[in-house]
Amino acid sequence: MNTKITKNLQNNVTLLKELLPAEDVLTYFFHTKDGTACAIVYADGIVNKQLLGELVARPLNRLSLSVTKEEVCEIAKNDDSRYEFNKNDGGRYDLKVLEHKIKTALLFPELKEESAFNTLVKEVLDGNSVLMVDGLTTAWVIGAKALPTRTVTEPPTDVAIKGPREGFIEDVKTNMSLVRKRLKTPNLRFELQKVGKQSDTNVAICYLDGVCNAENKKKILSKLKKIDIDCIVDSSYLATLLAPRTHSIFKQVGTTEKPDIFCAKLAEGRVGLLVDGSPIALTLPFILTEDLQTSEDYFISPFMATIFRTMRFFALVVALLLPAFYVTAQLFKLQLLPLGLTLTIAGSVQGLPLSPSMEIFVVVLLLEILKEASTRMPKYVGMSLSVVGALVLGETAVNAGILSTPAIIVVAISGICLYTVPNFVETGSILRWVFLLVAGSEGGFGIVILSTFLLYYLVSADGFGAPLLSPFSPLCMDDLKDSTLKYGFSGLENRPIFLSSNNKTRFRRK
Amino acid sequence: MKHVQRIPAPDKSKNIALINTRQLCFLTAFILPVSKLLETPSLFAKNALGDLLLPAFLQFLLQFIGLFALLFITEKTGKSIFQLIEEKLGGIALKVFCSLLAVYYLFFALLPLLDAEKFIHAVFYDTAPSRFTFTPFFFLSAFACVKSLRHFSRMADLCLPLFLISFVGIIFMSAGESDFEALLPWFEFPASKIVSAVKNTTAHFSDALLLLPFLGSSDYQKGDGKKISAAFWLGAFFVFVFLAVFYGIYTTLAPRQHYAFSKVAQYFSALKTVGRVDLLLVYLLTAILLLSTLLPILLSVFCLRTVFGEKFSMVLSIVINGGLFAFVLYCNKYYNFLYGLFTDRLWWIFPAFSVGIPLFCLLLLIGNRKGGKPRQKGKKLKQGVGYAR
Repeated sequence: MNTKITKNLQNNVTLLKELLPAEDVLTYFFHTKDGTACAIVYADGIVNKQLLGELVARPLNRLSLSVTKEEVCEIAKNDDSRYEFNKNDGGRYDLKVLEHKIKTALLFPELKEESAFNTLVKEVLDGNSVLMVDGLTTAWVIGAKALPTRTVTEPPTDVAIKGPREGFIEDVKTNMSLVRKRLKTPNLRFELQKVGKQSDTNVAICYLDGVCNAENKKKILSKLKKIDIDCIVDSSYLATLLAPRTHSIFKQVGTTEKPDIFCAKLAEGRVGLLVDGSPIALTLPFILTEDLQTSEDYFISPFMATIFRTMRFFALVVALLLPAFYVTAQLFKLQLLPLGLTLTIAGSVQGLPLSPSMEIFVVVLLLEILKEASTRMPKYVGMSLSVVGALVLGETAVNAGILSTPAIIVVAISGICLYTVPNFVETGSILRWVFLLVAGSEGGFGIVILSTFLLYYLVSADGFGAPLLSPFSPLCMDDLKDSTLKYGFSGLENRPIFLSSNNKTRFRRK
Repeated sequence: MKHVQRIPAPDKSKNIALINTRQLCFLTAFILPVSKLLETPSLFAKNALGDLLLPAFLQFLLQFIGLFALLFITEKTGKSIFQLIEEKLGGIALKVFCSLLAVYYLFFALLPLLDAEKFIHAVFYDTAPSRFTFTPFFFLSAFACVKSLRHFSRMADLCLPLFLISFVGIIFMSAGESDFEALLPWFEFPASKIVSAVKNTTAHFSDALLLLPFLGSSDYQKGDGKKISAAFWLGAFFVFVFLAVFYGIYTTLAPRQHYAFSKVAQYFSALKTVGRVDLLLVYLLTAILLLSTLLPILLSVFCLRTVFGEKFSMVLSIVINGGLFAFVLYCNKYYNFLYGLFTDRLWWIFPAFSVGIPLFCLLLLIGNRKGGKPRQKGKKLKQGVGYAR
């Protein structure tokens, strides 16, 4: 709707209320000193009413909107320096004078003139207030938002022992300020876009101009513009919609809840997305190695960081393959286990009603159920559930001869190992099931062929110019310095090559 | 030899679809040798016993002639052989050439496929598995066939650590148990036996031509030929080391030891206490073996895609892999017959193609230069008139 506001305040208010019939959209009428009617339209609950009263209603209430000869001359001379006051010019400068007077009276940092109804509607829904004055064809959008937000706290998914503890919150403006606080450069750019037909969610696209690859940024923006969805509830919606392969089980967009990690990624040349209503920021392009890295790796000795990263990598391999190899060893290739262990396992599984693959399948299923239940249950019940699940169920099942101890140990090791890489848990859980399935039906060959297939799939997956398995494939020796390995700053002089940054150097020794 | 202008380095940011020369080297050094570690050691030993390194060297020398011809042509013309044939003989000739190559690649894939299937059955299972156990390989192969050569080349990057870990691990476990004196004295066997060893293994060794499509899609620069040649001989070195260790362990029993790389490390003393951990390394090497087995199939589909067009890639992949699946399923009971057929009667086809075709192209190039046509100065390789993607 492109209708513009008219001079009749009552009509304007009525039309705006028709467009915004919700009961939480309120109108506050008041008068200026000379009796001109004014109205503020706002959405209740998301506006700072005290601020509106103090900085809008009170100054206007004390303001007289009568136009004097001097005021007209002052305004008119801005347009025409030779202007001389003429009573009979039809008051062509009167409106301008009034608008100027109101603008001067309102000492609001966020003040915007607007006249189209569709924009006014959006602004009210966004938490801004709209001031309309009788006799004027301009409305003022006042940024007096007071959206309910929580304070900046440490994110529960990314706890750090060393390093910054601040985490993003649900408010995009606060998140932008957290980023700005760390990157005090004019090169830091935020481009705001609205996504979602119903939700009209604010999405801030952040990047460092001159560092980020312009082509990548363009591709991301273009993909974002093409998104046609009703509602963006969380950034994970965008992560799915922006992913180059929508049906892939592998993560294709980086996620973080910490501004320090987000800024580090922007500084490497990535593009970041902050979504209003979500504490999880997105970064693009994404490579799988990112999941093996934590912010702490950069705050500790590079040797320790390398050890931790390598350990995480092997833990991941163990998490995915250990249950599968256990099944393979029992069903298809006993030689995989040393004789002593084979005899121990044989003793444990004797008389069990389930086949080895079925047994592991049941234990993994129990683990997943316990995990799901303990996540959803209230904190204190969750703790008792862990005791019931781990001790009572496990112990009793073994004593009752339903499950064997080695199977529980194997799945427990796998479960613990998977959590060393928290960002890979979802994908890892799915892959563990698939490996278990192929191990039960095809044995070691199934594991080998599935692994080869997954690697082949991953090498053929590129997202926004970056291969998912970079820097291992295509091999890039320079980028290996910050992959599973972690060099000190002296080795990290250049930005990652796979990001094709315009500015290659990030660190210079002096 | 006249100085040829250096082929300018391509702008990699604009040619991301090109295959890196490094990947070609890895393919030559770490993927192609693995197929020679399975059945050929016992075949060499069967014919030449302790002299098994000599026929192996001759085989590598023979293949190097083919590879050298391919590299020479690429180096001197700055063009792929596909482009050269199209320019000299026309589009129809190119299609015939591609069809011929596709048939050769398929033919070359048959014996390694049967070997791989037998190997999987023998090494991965304690008891006789189902006939369909090998079926997933064809899913992998069909998937790889619809992908580009660039993606296979990326797998070559991943094969570097996989090969080094598994190969070095296996050699480390087995070298201590090996009696290298068994290889002496050299040249003990008559030349006829050596020739026979070479003849019987051509079906496994004739892989120089596998690099042809990759060369047509790479960012080849003048001088890269040396790197690829070095990688080829590095791969040969791995095979020589393996053959020496293998024969040192089994000596006169070597001719009966099939699937060599799964057997060399089994006498490592520590395995008694920790179990057959060497099998994990064998599994790693098997992953590379599967890639080397599917490579000729992939190249066959690639050549047929050039003939029939990209839109048929899925159909071609399904048809070729389906056909090979049926072949493996129904012909594995005729394994001994087929083995005899390929190694005793049809052995000449392999060198005829793998060495003959590169030499033919070389002649084509020389013939053209004698004809007085100005030699085109070296320039950046184009992406093979739509061959490389």
